[in-house]
Amino acid sequence: MEPNGILIYGEFTQDYGIRNVVKQLLTKSRELKEKIWNQRICVCLIGPRINYENIISELGSYGADDVIIVSDDRLKEYNHNFHPEIFTQIAKKYPPRIILLGATEQGKEIASYCSTKLETGLTADCSDLDIGENNLLLSTRPTFGGQLTADILCSTFPQMATVMENIFKASQIEHSANAIFNWIDIDKIEKKVELVNIIKKNINTKTIENAKIIVSGGSGACKDNGFALIYQLAQKLHATVAGSREAYERGFITKSQQVGQTGKIVSPDIYIAIGISGANQHLTGIKNSGKIIAVNKDKNAPIFEHADIGIVGDLFEIIPNLIRNLDKKEEDNDQ
Amino acid sequence: MNIVVFIKQVPDTEDIKWTANNNIDRTNMDSIMNPVDKQAIEAALRIKEQNNAEITAVTMGPSKAVDVLKEAVAMGVDNAALLCDSKFAGSDTLATSKVLCAAIKEKFPNTNLIMFGQSAIDGETSQTGPNVAVRLNLPFICRVNEILEINNEYITVNSENDNYKYTYKLNLPAVICINNYIFKPRLPRINGYINSQKYFYKSYNMFELNLSDCDTGIKGSPTYVSKVYRKDDKRNCKFVENAQELASALKEE
Repeated sequence: MEPNGILIYGEFTQDYGIRNVVKQLLTKSRELKEKIWNQRICVCLIGPRINYENIISELGSYGADDVIIVSDDRLKEYNHNFHPEIFTQIAKKYPPRIILLGATEQGKEIASYCSTKLETGLTADCSDLDIGENNLLLSTRPTFGGQLTADILCSTFPQMATVMENIFKASQIEHSANAIFNWIDIDKIEKKVELVNIIKKNINTKTIENAKIIVSGGSGACKDNGFALIYQLAQKLHATVAGSREAYERGFITKSQQVGQTGKIVSPDIYIAIGISGANQHLTGIKNSGKIIAVNKDKNAPIFEHADIGIVGDLFEIIPNLIRNLDKKEEDNDQ
Repeated sequence: MNIVVFIKQVPDTEDIKWTANNNIDRTNMDSIMNPVDKQAIEAALRIKEQNNAEITAVTMGPSKAVDVLKEAVAMGVDNAALLCDSKFAGSDTLATSKVLCAAIKEKFPNTNLIMFGQSAIDGETSQTGPNVAVRLNLPFICRVNEILEINNEYITVNSENDNYKYTYKLNLPAVICINNYIFKPRLPRINGYINSQKYFYKSYNMFELNLSDCDTGIKGSPTYVSKVYRKDDKRNCKFVENAQELASALKEE
């Protein structure tokens, strides 16, 4: 069978809603579909036995033509053994031209598994998708520590890519999807990994994806008490704290606060980059921001080319001064 | 117990050079061991401290990639091997995983545990470890930040994400990818350096790994780079002189 269509992994949120990245991939797929002749967009859902009616019509409204459902009550939560194998079996049964997944933990794991089983190419953490020469999928991703951007093509089918969440915008149309129910013999799937225990973590940091104002620290803030200043400023502005890869590597922020290619894509109204030089991989994460304000001691730092407001100088002088000035402004307003 | 740690030499410079085919020109570049791979070695050495284990560091790369093997031996691994053939050049993750699997099958078939760093700072795909596991039909877990127990039968590990902390049990042989920034790598001691100088570094080429040239390199790689460029999404930066002006600008927003 000639490979046809775009197959998308329909990742669920924890309460069986559709994860945003799926809606974003569907929206992008509508655009890709226009460029290649006669393709269908299909979402594969792997979950428990619940009523899928609303989910199917919601997926339809984002552009899905078909929704393939594999349901079993052993699939309530993501399972290392089941989900990658089930998705791969679906990809074999309905050979698509293109397979897209969110560059989430689940998506990346399934993508690695599926591409190896299907002996096909996979481009990870894409920041854009298009159709290139010979109607092939053109996957764009930062490369080399984010210094450069590469357009990557794949010569085998299906052509696979994982895409960062919140890179694309999702939009709805008048459209409905067909449901296709599939039965897969889960008992036949080898259980290689045993989940012994799960502990829910107490999360006290605000999520950076929805933040309106973000104060973000980079390598420049990773010395002395740089991050203490970042937190002080954030408190003053009622902002959320984030950071660069280096800030994460050096333990000043958690993984969920890391902005960039291997972290989160953010879109606040104001993004304040402090001591961040502006590697491409970081810029990928902030380009959807409203206003970008950069504080850096190096006037040639690339961050300034991508900022709206810049100040060159030592953050250990500027930030305390800024906090004092904001205090003063508050007092002025109070009077 | 036999442990293989796969490590990678990555460029250390911001000055990246590319070949005419838009592949990385690794011959003209300063290189280091991928930082998290050092942590995978550290994790392996800690297993060895508690168990009777023999650790082999393996890397695929040009002949100068032997430098990262030297570093691994200096840190304390027992053996090291280089997978080196001009036909391997330009391999994507799929082709790379074929070469690494061939090394396990042909040269280290009695391996109980295969370890990787979670991702390499150059490509950052996080794919090679899982690909090798799937190709060898072995269980795998990524982002491992704690090894709780290991014996000849199984390994239990912790792995976590934003919301949850998971404990998994994997029967050996298995593949684990070590998360960044958890296992602080030890510094080599004088003895380690001496060992690293004395050690004879074995190198295996494509034929010795029983591979053909359609398996590896550019021929064996379905993905290829069509274009590399610096992305241009610049904004017009208005510079302010001091914190006071910055505070005013912030107030306006």
